[in-house]
Parts: sequence; C-alpha cells; structure tokens
Amino acid sequence: MAKSSSTDAVTLIRSLRSAYAATPTNLKIIDLYVVFAIATALIQVVYMGIVGSFPFNSFLSGLLSCVGTAVLAVCLRIQVNKENKEFKDLAPERAFADFVLCNLVLHLVIMNFLG
Amino acid sequence: MAKKFFCPLLLLLLLPESFSADNPTDRRLLILVDDLTIRSSHSLFFKSLESRGYSLEFRLADDPKISLQRYGHYLYDGLVIFSPSVQRFGGSLDQAAVLDFVDAGHDLILAADSSASDLIRGIASDSGVDFDEDAEAVVIDHVSYAVSETDGEHTLIAADDFIQSDVILGEKRIEAPVLFRGIGHSVNPSNTLALKVLSASPSAYSASPRAKLSSPSLTGSTIALVSVVQARNNARMLITGSLDLFTNRFLRSSVWKAGSSNKYEKSGNEQFVTEISKWVFHERGHLKAVNMTHHFVGEKTEPAVYRINDDLEYSIEIYEWSGTSWKPYVADDVQVQFYMMSPYVLKTLSTNLMGLYSTSFKVPDVYGVFQFKVEYQRLGYTSLSLSKQIPVRPYRHNEYERFIPAAFPYYGASFSTMAGFFIFTIVYLYNK
Amino acid sequence: MPGRGIIILLALIWSSLSICTASVVRPISEAHRSAALELFVPFDGSFGSLEDIYAAFRTLEILGLEKTQDVSDVACESVVDKLGSPSSTAKDLFYALKVNSILRCQAETIKFEEIASKLQTVLKSASSLPDFYYSIGSLLLIKNQGFEVLLSDAAGAFQSIKAFSQSDGRWRYDSSSAESSTYAAGMALEALAGVVSIADSEVDKSMIGVVKNDIVKLFDSIKSYSDGTLYFDDKYVHTNDYRSPLEISASVIRGVTAFAEVASGRVNIPGNKVLGVAKFFLSLGVPGTSKDLFHQIEALSCLENNRIYIPLIISLPATVLSLTSRDQLKVDVTSVFGVPAPPLTVKLLQAINSNSDGKPNIENQELYFDQENSIHYLDIASLKVDVGKYNLIFEASLHDPVAEKKYATGGRTSFSAFFTGSIQIDQAELEILNSDGDSIETIESLDLSKDSSLSLSANHLQTFRLSFQPTTPLGHAFKPHQVFLKLRHETNVEHIFLIESSARQYKLTLDFLGFVEKFYYLSGKYDIELFVGDAIMENSFLRTLGLVELDLPEPPEKAPQAPPQPIDPYLRYGPKAEIRHIFRSPEKRPPKELSLAFFALIFLPLLGFLIGLVRLGVNLKLFPSSPGPVAFSLLFHTGIASVLLLYGLFWLKLDLFTTLKILSFLGIFLVFIGHQTLSRLASTSAKVKSS
Repeated sequence: MAKSSSTDAVTLIRSLRSAYAATPTNLKIIDLYVVFAIATALIQVVYMGIVGSFPFNSFLSGLLSCVGTAVLAVCLRIQVNKENKEFKDLAPERAFADFVLCNLVLHLVIMNFLG
Repeated sequence: MAKKFFCPLLLLLLLPESFSADNPTDRRLLILVDDLTIRSSHSLFFKSLESRGYSLEFRLADDPKISLQRYGHYLYDGLVIFSPSVQRFGGSLDQAAVLDFVDAGHDLILAADSSASDLIRGIASDSGVDFDEDAEAVVIDHVSYAVSETDGEHTLIAADDFIQSDVILGEKRIEAPVLFRGIGHSVNPSNTLALKVLSASPSAYSASPRAKLSSPSLTGSTIALVSVVQARNNARMLITGSLDLFTNRFLRSSVWKAGSSNKYEKSGNEQFVTEISKWVFHERGHLKAVNMTHHFVGEKTEPAVYRINDDLEYSIEIYEWSGTSWKPYVADDVQVQFYMMSPYVLKTLSTNLMGLYSTSFKVPDVYGVFQFKVEYQRLGYTSLSLSKQIPVRPYRHNEYERFIPAAFPYYGASFSTMAGFFIFTIVYLYNK
Repeated sequence: MPGRGIIILLALIWSSLSICTASVVRPISEAHRSAALELFVPFDGSFGSLEDIYAAFRTLEILGLEKTQDVSDVACESVVDKLGSPSSTAKDLFYALKVNSILRCQAETIKFEEIASKLQTVLKSASSLPDFYYSIGSLLLIKNQGFEVLLSDAAGAFQSIKAFSQSDGRWRYDSSSAESSTYAAGMALEALAGVVSIADSEVDKSMIGVVKNDIVKLFDSIKSYSDGTLYFDDKYVHTNDYRSPLEISASVIRGVTAFAEVASGRVNIPGNKVLGVAKFFLSLGVPGTSKDLFHQIEALSCLENNRIYIPLIISLPATVLSLTSRDQLKVDVTSVFGVPAPPLTVKLLQAINSNSDGKPNIENQELYFDQENSIHYLDIASLKVDVGKYNLIFEASLHDPVAEKKYATGGRTSFSAFFTGSIQIDQAELEILNSDGDSIETIESLDLSKDSSLSLSANHLQTFRLSFQPTTPLGHAFKPHQVFLKLRHETNVEHIFLIESSARQYKLTLDFLGFVEKFYYLSGKYDIELFVGDAIMENSFLRTLGLVELDLPEPPEKAPQAPPQPIDPYLRYGPKAEIRHIFRSPEKRPPKELSLAFFALIFLPLLGFLIGLVRLGVNLKLFPSSPGPVAFSLLFHTGIASVLLLYGLFWLKLDLFTTLKILSFLGIFLVFIGHQTLSRLASTSAKVKSS
C-alpha cells in the first residue's frame, strides 16, 4: 500500500497546484508577499537562536514588522477575495486603504522600538 | 533692621583671641594648683607655654571663685589640673563639670602623684585611664631607675619607651630618657581612644616601697606613665601620674639610666613636655578638610545626579594647623569611599602636595542614593569624617546603545519589510 | 620595776621628738647662682620698677655676681629721677634709696638733706604701718649714706608703731583694718629697729623688752611642715593681696634680725626654731620666679649673720652609698650659704638597719675631718656593715663653748640612707615534679647572672618548683622587695606569681592542677621570666629562664575566656584595602562577520519576492493615463515613500515629537491624495466591470 500513499501524496500535491493556479493574480501577489514576510521572520528566528536575544527590542521589532505585515496582508486577502461572501459589499480599494494605513502605523511603531 | 546692627556687634565680642574652628590652638588656660608655690617650682614649663602665646590663669583648686563657664559660654580653652591632692574643687567645678568641659571639645592636662585624691582618680577613670587602686603604690623599677645620689628607693625612673609618633612627640627624636616619679596607670586594652605615650620598662611594678609586696596588679610594660586620650570630638587629654615630671628640677636635671653607659647632661623632660603640650593644645596634628567637590571628568560644576557608568572626579582639600597657620597636609593614605550600605568603591586619593587630594573613578552600575565618605583616622591626628550624598540614576530610555552590529539583521529585516510593502502597494494597485 | 620602764619609754619618746628629721636641704650652691643669672634678665635694659630693680641687684650682690654697667646706668638714672622728683611717695624714695645704697650712684643732684626733711614731715603725719615703714626705712638709708639724721620724737614713733600690734604677736596695717597679719609684723619690727637706730636719745629699755616678748609670741605661732621645716603664714585672702609663706617668712626674718641687731640683750628664740626657718628657705631648692629667689636669698642672708642664732646646716651630699665601690659616708656642716662652719666634731650616734629589730649596727662613731674639702667623712666599708636601708643619727658639737651660744646646729639630726651592694643568688634550681609529689621529672640548676634558654615541658598533673637563696655580701639572708615569676603565653596572656620566702630560701611551687582554670585552659608555650629587685640591690635583674610547654586539658563549655590583649595601635590606624566595583559583564556579542552575513541573508527573501513577482508576470496596466489621475497616483506613492523615508530618518536621528509633527502633515496630505486616487481607481474598475 506504500505505492498508493505515495501516489496519493503526489495526486494531492498535483490537485493542490492546479487548484492554486486558478486563483486570481492579485491574490497570488498577496500570497507571495506573505511568504516573503514569513521567510524574513524565520531567518531572524534562526539568527536569534544562534547568537541569543541580545538586543531584544531590536529582535522583537524586526520579527514583529515581518509578522505584522504578514497578518495585515492576510487580512487584505480575506477582504479582497471575491469568493468570500462576508466581504461582498466591501470595496477592495477600501480594504487596500486600510491595509496601507495599518502598515504605516505598524512601521512607525517598529521604527520607534527598533532602537 | 536691628539684627543687622546686632550681628556685627556680636562678632566683635566673640572675635578677640578665642578658640575657634579657624584658629584651633587654645588660648586661655586655667591652671588649678594645690599650692601657689607650683608657679615657682614648675615655672619653666609655664614660661614655655606663655612664650607660645597662651594666657595662663592660676587658681587654688579649692578657690570658691573658680568657674569654667558663664551663661553657657566657656571662659577657658584648656584646663590644667596640677592639684593631685584636692578633695573637692571650689566654686561650681566638680568631676562632672570637668568632663562636660572635655565633652564640649576642650583640652585637659591632668597630673596626679602619690597623694592623688579620689576626685582626681575619678576624673582619670572617666577618661578611660585607671590609676593603681592602692593609695600607697608608686611605680618602682629596680632595673631602669635613674641613678641618683639622694634617691635610693628606685622610685625615680628613667623612662625611654616612647610611642612612635612624630605628631605627638615632634619630629626630633627624644634622645635622653625622661625622669618620672609618681603613680602608674593602665589603659584598658579595648579602649580605642587612649594611647600610651610613655610606658614603663618590663621590670617595673607598682607597689608601696615601704610595705611588703603582695600581688602587684600592674607590672611591666602595661604600666603607662603618660597617656593621652583623643576623644571622638577631637578634644585631647593628657594624663600622667607624676606632677614632678613638669618641675624645673626634672627639666634641668641630668639623667643616667642604671645599667646604661650614657650619661645625659639634660633629661628628655623639657623636650617631652614641650612637644606633648603642643600636641594636647592643638598646635600640631589638627586637621581640617574643606571643599569636598565632585564633578564629571573635564567639567567644573557639581551635578545634582550621576548616571551609572559615568566617570567622575572627586577632590577634597585637607590642611594641617601648624600652630599659627593652616599648612597643606601631605599624606598618601587618605581614602574616599563611594558608599551605599557598604562601600562599593574605596580608593586612595593622590595629592598635589598643596593640600588638594583627588581621584577619579567610574560610578558603579548599581543605582540608588550614594555617599562620598572620607573617614580618616591616624594615630595622633584629629579624625576627619565627611560625607556628601549624591543620587545615581539608571539609563534614560534614550541613553541606551543604538546601531549595534549584532542587530544588523533585524534592522535589515525591518527596512526590507518596508521596501517590500512599498513595492507591493505599487504592484498590487496597478496589476490587471 | 614598772616605774623605770615608763621613764625609759618617756625618755625614748622625748628623744625621738627632739630629733629633727631633715628633708633634703642643701646650702645655697652654684645652681642658685646660675638661676639668678637666668631669671634676672633685664628687659629693654631695665629690670622694671624700682622694687624689681632693687630685688635684682640685691640678689646679685648677695650671690656675688657681677652686674653689667649699662643696666646699672639705667637704674641710676631711674634712681636719680625718683629722688629728685617732688611727687615721689615714701615708698618710691625707699626703694630708690635702697638701689642707691647698692649701686652708689654718683650724683651731686641728689639732695639728701631735703629728702630727709621731707621724710621727717611724712613721718610726723604717718597713720598707717606702711607709712612708718617706708619713711623710717628711707631715713635709715640716708643715715647709712653718711648724712646726719636724727629722729626727735623717737619714743612717740615707737609707741605709734607699737599701737598697731596685737596680743598674739601680729600687727595690723592701720587702726581701721580688722585683720592682723604676720607680714605686717615683719614690717613693724623692721620699722621699730629703724626707729631705735635713728633715735636722738635712747629708747626706753622696757619698751624694747615688750617688743622682744612680742617676737617670742610671734614665734609661738610658727607653723611646721611634716618634714620639720618651720614657716610663717597668714590666713588665705583674695588672690590680689595674696602673700606666699615664703614672702611672709622672709618679712618676719628681716624684721626680727633687724630688731635683734639694735636691741641690747638676747631675744629668747630657741635655736631649733631659727634652724627650722632656715631649712624652710633651703628646702625650696631653686625657686623658678625671680621674686621668690630674691625673698629666699635675702632672708637667708639675714640669717647668715644674725644676733640670735646663726643656723648651721648638717647635710649629706649623697644618701645612696655603694659598698661595692667603697663609697665614703660624707657629711657637710656649713652655714646657709655654704661657708664652712667653725671647728666642730660630727659624731654618728647610731646607724640602725631597718631590717634589724632596733639594735644599732654602728654606735658612737666619730667622723674624720678632711681639712682641704671641709667635709666630715667615714669609711663605712671598713666598719663591716651589711647592705640595707639605714636610719643614721648625727650630732655636731662645736669645739668653742662661746660658739655654742652663737650657732644653732639642731642637736640630733637623723637621715635615712641606702647602703647598696651586690646580692648573690645561690642554689637556684628549677624542677618539674610528678603528681605523686616527690619523683622529679626534670631538674635544672640555674645561673642567674645571665639569661638562660631552658626548654621544659609539663602537663597539668605535674608541679613546677623554683627555689633560690639570695645572700648579702656579708653572708646574711636577704629578702628582696620584688620577687616574682611571670609566665607569658604565646597569645600574650600573662600570669604573675609572688615567690614566698622561708628562713633563707625563696621557693615557689606551682601545682598546675589547681591553676588550670586560672590559665584559661590555654595550652602551649609559656615564656618564664624571673624578676628579683630591691632598692639596695645593685644587681637587680629580670632574667628570661626559657620556656615551658604546658599541656592543659580542653576547656569545658562555660570556661572563662582569657582577657583581651591590647591591639597594636599602629595596626589599628591604617589605610583599608581598596575596593573596585566589579561591573556586570556585558552580554556576549556575536562576531561581526556573522551579523553581517545574516544581514546579507535577510535581503534574500526580498530578492525572492521580486523574482516571484516577475515570474508571476505582473504588469502595471491599470496605471492611469490621463494627467490628473497620473498626478494623484504618483503623489500617492511618493507620499507613501516619503512617510517610509521619514520613518527611516526618525530611526536615524529624529525624535518622536518632530516625527509625529511631520507625520501629521504628511498624513493629512496622504489621506486626501489616497482618497482621490483610490476613488478614481474604484470608479475606473466599476466602469470596466459594467461594460
């Protein structure tokens, strides 16, 4: 039965890929942005693991900027996704404006805490 | 308005020739004697005091007109009690009044002899010095006596066991032994204020020469012949069991210590009593410390608060009274403590030989209210005790280190996120 | 028979009373002369007032010392000035004349007759004792210069002075004063003597006799010190008028000797009293003030040649004699100024050793006389006396019977003397005995002429014994005053033991068992020191015998602690050890290269993001074309960029407040622009959707 499980995995991945290809481009852009942010966060965590958390405020600041912007991007994706019945009435530009504002506030806080 | 006229007037009244912090040498001395022939038999000692500028007033010890103070103000700066056999002082003077006089910061010379009364013994024991309780006892030394044609009982002692102190006994070494005849005393070993200036030799003992010896309580070098006490308020007392130590006869006499080959033309008494009276009356060994200042390295003003890990400089000026003027004090063991419950920093100050002592150190990384403390106590010198409080604060929020190399990845991450965000806004808005 | 015993006892008591015990009195010597030169130092060329000038010159004259010429000249000027001035009082004239009589100032300007007549007038109107004293004294001095001075109403003057006398021999100063004084008695007697000298007719003998009785009464009130010297004193008054016993006695002696000169017949004062007063003056030694020296020397010079009794002082130049160096017992018999006495013999009546029971060791020895040095001596060593403290009783008897009436020698005089010698210590032994009492563990014989360095050991069950025999040069047993043993522990705790004597031997037995607690249970090395000393031992010693290692049991719970030993004062006062604060070590930082490596690494995701965007094939098709929306869009994005740049600047150097201020401007701008941009975009996309 190993063969079926491996083929099951391959089939799963294949169907995932094809389903994903159907997503609209702007959502893909957002996804890419999120991946970029999380990757940066992971690198920072690895660095902290190696050298220790000496300037803890800088570490938190850097980490939070990545995680925060990722979260905001996820919120944007939810609001902008046409398949989401909840946010049908919300204009995507409005969501984008919120996204920009929140990011600007986030970055102000990050800069203050960066030290 | 009236105060303006009154104050200078008061100053004028207080100015003439009195003991003050600016001029610590005593000026007016009261000499209490049993019998006014002491003026004549001790005239060399009194003349040497007068030649150094003291004004002496002689009174019989039981003169009813004696008074040390009037309206709470002391009339004399120093008291010399040359009346060993007085049972009760006259006037308003008694044992408690003498001790109050010393407690007020004034100096005392007390000389007893074999006729010492209980009053004199009481004053001595209150000062920390105990005379031999046996009323008949005198100090006898059969090995270190002064060879004499007329004194055969070996009660005239040639003593040369001096304390090693240039402050108390002067810079010039006393070559000849000092002649002593009288009673001995002991200083309690736990007494930190009393010092034995002249001790007896190991073969001395305190007993009555006429009676058979029964267990002697004082023997050997524990017998002090002359002691000084410096109280915590820097009042000085000289206590000795021999009034004869100060007589003209002893000051002029030649001395030959038994068993020694040196015969000295003049005994060491004159040099000894002159030098030690200089010390007792604050002509020497009196220090004052002024101008305790601290500031940041390179600046001149005194800040109100320091921050941890600051570099500061501390300085103090110490002067020594030379009898006529203040001279810079030179020593290499003055120390300052930076103290909060316990000393965090203790440093020896370096001097510029003009009386200025300074040092610099880094403020510890503990915050709180600290004190700069200088506690200086040396043998024969007045004790200095000064302190200045200064708070120490931790870092302000904007005094921490910034742009740390170890945090570059984090800085990079934040800016990279900002850049990514900017690009995202452009791309997202205009993408079809 | 009891009667005889009582008589003998009474005789003994009486004889002891009549013996005068002498204190250390020596006649006037070179020490007095050098003191006079030291004390009488002219200040600014002069000695001070005329009284002080007189005191200085009189003392120097008596002691035979030279006076410098310029001081004499200055003094003479003052004298002439005072004698010539019409406003001088009798006291000034008195002292001026006194100085003149010493210096013999040659001055023709001094009109002695005028002064004499002025004084006579003063005398007539005199009402107080000082007035009489100074005027009569001055008149007497003028008479001694060689001028004719006669007092007409001598008897009247005599009576007036006598009127101030009291029944106890003292005098009052004037009729109004209530107190009488001995000092005034001296002045009065001198004045009375002056009256007799300058009287024109002889004064009534009965009056002189009355005064002689007064003198006897005065001497009855004489006081004495415990050493036998006699002096006069007055009741203590306020310090300004205070006169010391020396001054008062000097005044009395001056007056009494002056009166005895002029009175015919004897004044009945016993010789012992005169001798007692002379000894009082001598017992002061060398006085420290010039006034005291003057009074002492002047009074003694009055006594040197007086008509009552001339005192002869018996003194011993040395009372400590060494038998080993064969010292001789020397006795000086001189006048108060050291002038040799007339021929006499000195006999040592008795010499009693304080240790023997009253039996004299020497009796009735006559002393030999050394003509050259005028000293009486006795060779004691040949008399085979032993060492010890002796009570010597001397008696001096003059050869000339006439001289017996002129001189006072004081009868029997006793002195205490020390005959010192070398004491031999024999059979010195140190033993450690075992607990059974008699078996000897260690025995060492000691040579006590030098230190030994024995090394013994004992435990608490054993006994320590030290014994020795001190003997005098003549072989008798000797009991020194100071005999003790000191045991000192390493920690400086000391224990002293007196050594008891029995018959000839001194023995100390220490049973350590009983001393365990006294020694505070301290085991270890104890230094042994032996002290033997006495006033007559020339070889008193302190010997270190060595050490004993004591093994004592462990102290129980409640054992008393040894007393604290004194701390060396030099250690007590010293600089303390320096303290440097140890700072918290900073956090370990990674090496710079690692940080930089990760810094480079952190930009990789950004790069990946850009590449991914390209891979996705993004475009900017929706970017507006018409100028209005283009401007807005551009401004919008520049706005965002500028905010981000502001944040960067904020991190680099701005503070929060400035940033927020600028941000508020930028923010308002951005909101407006953003709204415009996005609404246009929204309308554009709606248009596209609907079409």
